[in-house]
Amino acid sequence: MKNVTIKRPWKMYCALLVGLFLAGFVGAQVTIKGKVTDDKGNGIPGASVAVKGSNEGTATEVDGTFSLRMNLPKKDYILAVSSVGFASAEKKFTVSGVEATVNISLFADAAGLDEVIVTGTSAGTTKKQLGSFVTTLKADQLNKGIPSAALQSLQGKVAGAQISQNSGDPSGGMSVRLRGISSINGSSEPLYIVDGVIVNNATNRVTNTQSGYDGGGFVGTIGQSRMSDINPADIDHVEVLNGAAAAAIYGSRANAGVVQIFTKRGANSAPVVSFSTNYMMSSLRKQVPHNMAPTKFGGPTDGPTAQTQDILSPALTNTTAVTRYNYWDYIFRDASGTDNNLSIRGGNDKTKYFASASYFYNEGIIKNTDYNRFSFRVNLDQTINKWASMSAGLNYINSAANEKPDGNSFFSPMNSITILGNFHNFWQRDALGNLQAVGERGRINPVSVLEDFKQRNETNRVLGNMSLKLKPFKGFTLDYTMGIDNYSQNGTTYLPPYTYNASPAFWGGGATLDPTQNGYASAASNNFFQINHEVNATYQINIIDDLASTTQVGYSAQYEKNKYILTQGRGLAPLVETVNGASTAIPGVDSRSEISVSGYYLQQNFKWRNHIFITGAVRVDGSSVFGEDERNQVYTKASGSYVFSSTDYWKNLGVSKWWDLAKVRVAYGESGNLTGIGAYDRFNSYSTNSYLSRTALFSSTGLANTKVKPERQQETEFGADLGFLRNRVNVTFNYYIKKVSDLLINRQVAPTTGFSTLLDNFGSLENKGFELVVNATPFKKKDFSWDVTGIFSHNRNKATKIGQALTLLSTNAGAPVAIIEGQPIGIFYGTFFAVDASGNQIKSATGIPQLEKGIQNSVLGYTTQRDPLTGLPLGTGTTLRKIIGDPNPDYTTSLINTFNYKGLSLRVQLDAVKGGEVFNADFRTRQGVGNGEIAEQEDKGLVPRGYISGIYAVEQWRISDGSYTKLRELSVSYDFGKIGPFSSLTASAAGRNLISWDNYNGFDPEVNAAGQSTILRNIDFGAVPIPRTFSIGVSAKF
Amino acid sequence: MKRFHIISKALAVVLLLTATACKKNFSDPSKATEDKVFTTIRGLNAVTVGLQRSYTLGRASSLYNKVTADGFLTNQYIIVNRGNSAEDQLERGGGAVDGTNTIMAGLWTNSNKIIYDADNVINAAKGLNDKSYASGLIGYCSIFKVLALGDMAMFWEKIPAGIGTNVDFIARADGFAKAITIIDEALAAIAANPISATFTANMPTGIDVVNTLLALKARYALFIGDYPKALATANLVSPAIKSYFNFDATSVNPIFETATATDNVYEPIDSTLGLLTTLQPDLADKRVPFYTRISTTGGSRFRVNGFGAALLTQFPIYLPGEITLIKAECLARQASPDLVNAQNNLNSILTKAPATDPYGVGAQLPAIAGQLNQADLLTQIYRNRCIELYMSGLKLEDMRRFNRPNTEKRRNLLPYPFRERDNNPNTPADPAF
Repeated sequence: MKNVTIKRPWKMYCALLVGLFLAGFVGAQVTIKGKVTDDKGNGIPGASVAVKGSNEGTATEVDGTFSLRMNLPKKDYILAVSSVGFASAEKKFTVSGVEATVNISLFADAAGLDEVIVTGTSAGTTKKQLGSFVTTLKADQLNKGIPSAALQSLQGKVAGAQISQNSGDPSGGMSVRLRGISSINGSSEPLYIVDGVIVNNATNRVTNTQSGYDGGGFVGTIGQSRMSDINPADIDHVEVLNGAAAAAIYGSRANAGVVQIFTKRGANSAPVVSFSTNYMMSSLRKQVPHNMAPTKFGGPTDGPTAQTQDILSPALTNTTAVTRYNYWDYIFRDASGTDNNLSIRGGNDKTKYFASASYFYNEGIIKNTDYNRFSFRVNLDQTINKWASMSAGLNYINSAANEKPDGNSFFSPMNSITILGNFHNFWQRDALGNLQAVGERGRINPVSVLEDFKQRNETNRVLGNMSLKLKPFKGFTLDYTMGIDNYSQNGTTYLPPYTYNASPAFWGGGATLDPTQNGYASAASNNFFQINHEVNATYQINIIDDLASTTQVGYSAQYEKNKYILTQGRGLAPLVETVNGASTAIPGVDSRSEISVSGYYLQQNFKWRNHIFITGAVRVDGSSVFGEDERNQVYTKASGSYVFSSTDYWKNLGVSKWWDLAKVRVAYGESGNLTGIGAYDRFNSYSTNSYLSRTALFSSTGLANTKVKPERQQETEFGADLGFLRNRVNVTFNYYIKKVSDLLINRQVAPTTGFSTLLDNFGSLENKGFELVVNATPFKKKDFSWDVTGIFSHNRNKATKIGQALTLLSTNAGAPVAIIEGQPIGIFYGTFFAVDASGNQIKSATGIPQLEKGIQNSVLGYTTQRDPLTGLPLGTGTTLRKIIGDPNPDYTTSLINTFNYKGLSLRVQLDAVKGGEVFNADFRTRQGVGNGEIAEQEDKGLVPRGYISGIYAVEQWRISDGSYTKLRELSVSYDFGKIGPFSSLTASAAGRNLISWDNYNGFDPEVNAAGQSTILRNIDFGAVPIPRTFSIGVSAKF
Repeated sequence: MKRFHIISKALAVVLLLTATACKKNFSDPSKATEDKVFTTIRGLNAVTVGLQRSYTLGRASSLYNKVTADGFLTNQYIIVNRGNSAEDQLERGGGAVDGTNTIMAGLWTNSNKIIYDADNVINAAKGLNDKSYASGLIGYCSIFKVLALGDMAMFWEKIPAGIGTNVDFIARADGFAKAITIIDEALAAIAANPISATFTANMPTGIDVVNTLLALKARYALFIGDYPKALATANLVSPAIKSYFNFDATSVNPIFETATATDNVYEPIDSTLGLLTTLQPDLADKRVPFYTRISTTGGSRFRVNGFGAALLTQFPIYLPGEITLIKAECLARQASPDLVNAQNNLNSILTKAPATDPYGVGAQLPAIAGQLNQADLLTQIYRNRCIELYMSGLKLEDMRRFNRPNTEKRRNLLPYPFRERDNNPNTPADPAF
């Protein structure tokens, strides 16, 4: 190591990992020059180039050229080249003079086997070595479809993932399920990591704070989820780890998988300034039908005495002429938005930087809703000396949304319409400009909701990370990462006093406009702080030439602190929007929690030549949320892969001419669920609220076992990766079995115990499924190429044990969500239509379908009974129940076609979700109040009078087909290349959620009124439909 | 060597930083743990107030569930919006009421919860040194415990024998008898050590403990046919004293909040109060306009009035009229009936002017002239209980006691909640109707 110049830009470790080890050579100064190109002859920038057997390496320039100067004796050498997105290649060359030229061309690595994966390992490894499946997505795959949030950009691109947008609000929450539900009581969202630091993705209810309408928690998890803070344009690439098998390094918080986001970093280049701007237009994709019948049943048609509940009162048979309105036109609008990003990246071999600023603004398709986000980011990488480097990143985000109440209340934009017959001219005002009551039921005038309600949600967030990497001696790496995530989310809600009879349940003052009740205001804040520490030590050594070993030990600790404060009141003073204007204080909330999680692990990896890879690990994790004696749990994992195509005998097989890659892998892993219950859920405590101005304590409805322990998940995964025709066709297949035991269930217990539920480790569940990914390049010429990606995922979820036959949840939307042993979790279990032997509905003499009745023998077994005289279901029989729908799809699939012709690029992505059902509560309500299509038929006499009233109680009537195929993304872009002052200029046009092919009887089957809830899925109850979005944009570099 | 020096320094910093995350014992500052609550007077006091909260606050309260279930099953209401599925099931009655019904299951769950916490307080109070405070706690908690027992016994054929896992069931009549025993124990504790003024000041205003316990004892003694005890106890209740659930602008009257204010759940059926032609109130009966209101401005014509009239309307735990009618009924039914005094008591209800009743309930009708025979007298007592105690939650029990046919009811007794049946193998079979 005497006089050798060792350049160690840290990126070069990638190259070193290919198999080079430090050695000292003494020879003449030689310059090795050349160019790295793709198969079309275009230079590849940033590729790692190294001479095997030396410690020298460099990265290619923007045009793909490189130049290495080093001392080399005259003999043969091998140049190893690798670059993200290309299969690594080696080329032999001879040093005979002072200069050598080596040109090398790389094939696209469609299966990504040579990509360096850092998820699940601290030192980074190639995909080839991994025993488990990891999806990698790069910025250009993510951002073509103009996502407004980071998680939207993943939709349809990850095998084994069901990613759905729960609301069409401009900041609507997203749900990500990797290989199904992995918990019942806790969240099933994956662990999110940005630049090595765990990031909080909680949904905090700082708006929609009214407790009156939801029974205290049956609504699910509604609103923005905090991943919406991450600016999609900052993302360099994303790694998604579906299973627990590979997640030892993240421990048990990763039991539902890991989504790791890497933001853009600096480069060893002159400063490059990038600017992009997009203009977006959103609109409602499809309207549901509304009643256009010229008459209604019964009396007054409008004003405060209008009879609104006419359809459901079959005794009313007289009709009155009415004017019908299309209310949807009133609440929806064509919305617009902008997305502007400015960034600079550059650096030298010691210091690299990336900085960005962005402003995103988007209107919602519901009038007077919008969302904006300012984001600033700086990423810095610094080489300290030959053996130490550090990096630091800082991200500041300010986001704010002007919202309307969420769908679950009847004073939300969607439900204020859904609950009204469409014959009210609700825009009418009196001489003073005051809005009028709509009907006699104290319902909220939609104009109040859209024009007068003010609801605002604002977040300030700082994400910081710093890591230090030391390489004190050969083969040994020590790295330490610290990250913080700190945000404060504030919400304000203002429902001004109504000028008309509004129900006190909707925060009105009733018929008397009672000033102590009329109007509502709240202010809430949630402060979150999290700090993470991770230390990993890695030692790599070649035991013998063919056998390499990597040993890792690590320790991680996380601490989080949350404070939620709500102050609220009703009966507001005129014109005052704040809580101090309230004449009646409503009990507030002051809730504080602390959680601490820590764990350590040992992981050992062996690599035999380049084709056998074996990894084993053991990890101990502890979390403060569990009982003291159950806190520390041991988890093990093991994985192995065998790459046939890297063996010597494969090269001699005939198939190797067209079969480039053959790899099989198997992985087993255990994990827990360290945040499966809340910080204090294991304690049995008395809550307090003053009652009638006296101190009061009341015990909770649920009892907890104080010795509760974490759930334990065991996942086994088998997979294969295949590549054909010079990797023009790649196939990846995975099969997995994921079992969760000691499942935490808040089980129902007999109320005679004094409690309604008992939280304990009662159950178990399993997910089985497979994933298939096919990447192909059917056509590829110099100017034109066509790439296809197909993804197919199937998951079968089953509650194998829940400690009782049936747990039926009562939900705010009336959805009969159940957990039944042997059935998928969250299934819809309820009353259904009586049918005859040939499956036709049995109808009464007047033509009204009937509710099935008989004897319920068991949860799933029943005997129907018929009245011998009428043939109708027996009136005295029990109303029967069965499984009427399943929100879990049979499969999800997507097809992405990309066409490139010179600078022109076209990308088309179709996503399909097949086989699930939606509980459409709104469909029934629309018919019941007389604004829907069936109501129109009843008004017109096309179905018998009393039809809707007759079947109103049949829960099956609210089930609708949730299958869909969507034209998710369509984008066209043209790259002008170097033009004028720009080094690159691209113009693009894109569309998102353009078309949906479905048989759904609502707006959009991709919906969940229960937000990010684990168990409540596919419920349509006042949720804002996902808009159709178009955008045009320009991006430039200079 | 310098290199290793730096590394060891770095390691030291790392260890220091991570050490802070190792602490794992946190407690919830916003709640009181169960093991500590029952060790102080302040804790017992607060749980006692919590019982009243559970019994009376909101749509999930026992008060709302009892008044609603009873009213639908006995034809007192009409449903305004069938989207209220629990109320809709009760209105349809019979097999439509199933084990998932939230009103029925809510009443069951809430009753057992109240008994659980009342037991905790009563047991702990016995150990307090301040006996005058303890007697207050015992008396106040006993009111809610016996109301919970009585509510279950009014709606279910059998009721749980206690609190615990896989509890046994006892006949509903034994439930009323058990309530009487609890009341006697509470009254004895109070007699030994009169309730301290400090205790009374710490409770919400409105409830007179002793009179309420006596009134409930008279009620339940009547229900099990112990007429001498019912009559003797009724005679001890002071007629002028009001004892009621109070409300404020934050915690409002649950009937008003859900039914009256919205006109979207239920309303009185009409001015007949759901009674057969022969039993309907007299057109001049002033109790009808007390309990119902006629709206001419749209919506339902008949509206809830009476004890669901307004946001802060106090809800009586018993009415003076009930006590008088208990006396009348006991006199008419006792071993050697005293029909004259029975009719005198009934007449005092008929002739009572609203202004002379503490709550304003008064028929202000002429007295019944001639002496009625026992059967007719009992019919008139039943009729007046239905009117005087409209929307009180007591009618289903009365219909059974007065042998009204099942055709007049939507159900005679309720099925057991699935939540109980699924988790307690001792749950009795559901009644046929």
